[in-house]
Amino acid sequence: VKLLWFHLMPYPALPDDFKATNRSVWVDIPSSLHDPRVTAQAYDDYLDQLEQADRVGFDGICVNEHHQNGYGLMPSPNLMAAALARRTEQSAIVVMGNSLALYNPPVRVAEEMAMLDCLSDGRLVAGFPVGTPMDTTYAYGQNPATLRRKYHEAHDLIMRAWTEPDPFSFNGEFTQLRYVNLWPRPLQQPHPPVWIPGGGSVETWDWCAREQYVYCYLSYFGYKLGRATMRGFWKRVEEQGYDDNPYRAGFLQFVGVADTDEEARRLYAEPADYFYNRCLHLYPGFTDSPGYQSEATVRARVQGMVQRAAQQSSARPGAGGLPTTFDEMVEAGYIIAGSPDTVREQLEHVAKELRVGHLMMLLHFGNMSPELTAMNTDLFARKVMPGLRDVFAEHDDPWWPSGCPT
Amino acid sequence: MTDRVLYLHGIGGLPARSPALDALAAHGIEVVTPVLPGFDGEPGFEPPADHLGWLARAWDALDETGALPCPVIGASVGGMIAAELAVLRPETVERLALIAPLGIWDSTIGGDDVFAVPAPLRHSMLFAGEVPDAFTHAFADLGAEEQPVAQHLAWTAAASLVWPLPDRGVATRLHRLRCPTLVVWGDEDRVAPVGYVERWPGEHVVVPGAGHLGEWDAPDDVAETLRSFLS
Repeated sequence: VKLLWFHLMPYPALPDDFKATNRSVWVDIPSSLHDPRVTAQAYDDYLDQLEQADRVGFDGICVNEHHQNGYGLMPSPNLMAAALARRTEQSAIVVMGNSLALYNPPVRVAEEMAMLDCLSDGRLVAGFPVGTPMDTTYAYGQNPATLRRKYHEAHDLIMRAWTEPDPFSFNGEFTQLRYVNLWPRPLQQPHPPVWIPGGGSVETWDWCAREQYVYCYLSYFGYKLGRATMRGFWKRVEEQGYDDNPYRAGFLQFVGVADTDEEARRLYAEPADYFYNRCLHLYPGFTDSPGYQSEATVRARVQGMVQRAAQQSSARPGAGGLPTTFDEMVEAGYIIAGSPDTVREQLEHVAKELRVGHLMMLLHFGNMSPELTAMNTDLFARKVMPGLRDVFAEHDDPWWPSGCPT
Repeated sequence: MTDRVLYLHGIGGLPARSPALDALAAHGIEVVTPVLPGFDGEPGFEPPADHLGWLARAWDALDETGALPCPVIGASVGGMIAAELAVLRPETVERLALIAPLGIWDSTIGGDDVFAVPAPLRHSMLFAGEVPDAFTHAFADLGAEEQPVAQHLAWTAAASLVWPLPDRGVATRLHRLRCPTLVVWGDEDRVAPVGYVERWPGEHVVVPGAGHLGEWDAPDDVAETLRSFLS
């Protein structure tokens, strides 16, 4: 199994009464709560953490894109990836990713990712999310009714820009270009591996299988609730006649390692509470723009990740809301926390049960201090990682960047 | 008095016909009520990618009624479409009555975002009073399974017309307006506050106690104003 270190880069200084005094961490969060000096320090700390992950042997380091929010301070993941490309040596740099419909023209994504692939000597993974409704339709004003068409058109343009050797014209519904002729081009040929973060829609599963992309389920709610989604994915893969190589899949999981289970509870309860009660404090009115969900998804009653988060954030404790204690979060599988043996055992279970070859782990979450994050990363690398190395060793990973050590 | 009018419904969608129009019909006027594309909640609707595409789809629906040319009444998004019809195909619109038309955005006036509230609350933003049962039970005849899907598709069509701001540049075309024009506005409109009335040419009538869909909140006042204009 590949072990990846995923950073959300949250704003770490939201006030204690944030949830009580603000309606949303996203879109209309008051700018008065933002102190640029805090962000400057956070960037420094967060990049240090990703560089540490590279040094201690994580297979990949991950960044992502969000806008107008205190949940994640990366409107441009490509800037972070560029900084990391020069300061890391081994890890895949997983840009998870660029929300394609937000770029005009979308060849900008093809260009910047080609730059990143060259800068990192072929270590780039190109993630193509649709993006949350908060990011795409409210913060960036994209029409939700046409967002997915625009996304797929942008995808087609980017893939052609990466792979077609000669200049071509592109006559799309949303983008028209007379001359497409990418310079520079990606180091990895024909293109960097493509990973798709998605919800639980059948259309996305089928598309990933058909295009030979990695499907990543980035759940805030852990492996127990993610099981049904991943089973659905694997069922569609099988129905379409593809093999069940576990490296077709990625999964996000919160992880906290300490010397003992009791110590983990003591150390990680506060950052977990910060994440779920401040970073995920979403206003339901910003999570369901009309048309963002496809007709098929609405008909299938699939609830999006952020809709679920908003529902939980606004529900009363005990009435469909979040677990109220850290023990309940651990019990529900939101967070895997404990001694190295506990964490290794549970992650092995997650990898095998969900059949996930790319475990994307949040070893920093909420307002976790730099010291605790460094300890979490170090303990994981020394005492958890070795015991997971052989899981799925019998499988090749054709979705891994060719510039990374094998 | 005209004997026929064409009415274009507002952002709330179905039912396409409002009580004010029923009152007009009671005076012997035939009221033709096409449904704007997508607002019928039928599966498979793909919103056009741009405004011109939307106008073409809308005009297909209007032409299909065979009612044009005639006086045209448009409310909310229907007002925006009606105004475009009047300025771009002036031969089809004999008189133009607009009820709180969308189509012009001024950040100094603003307006509440009907799409930035949880879906069950959207209708409540459109009325000064209670949400009429006709909207609460829209698509109920489709059954519990399909009703939310149809409502989702109808909101999708509405949003696609005016996202992210309800302005597709009609103000730059209003100088082409040739027909007599009436603009009716509810003074309790939260979605398009009454200040916008000054941005539209024609005769202005402000209706007290009416919200964005004023023809539902104050049907008698609106019907009388329309009847007077059409006579």
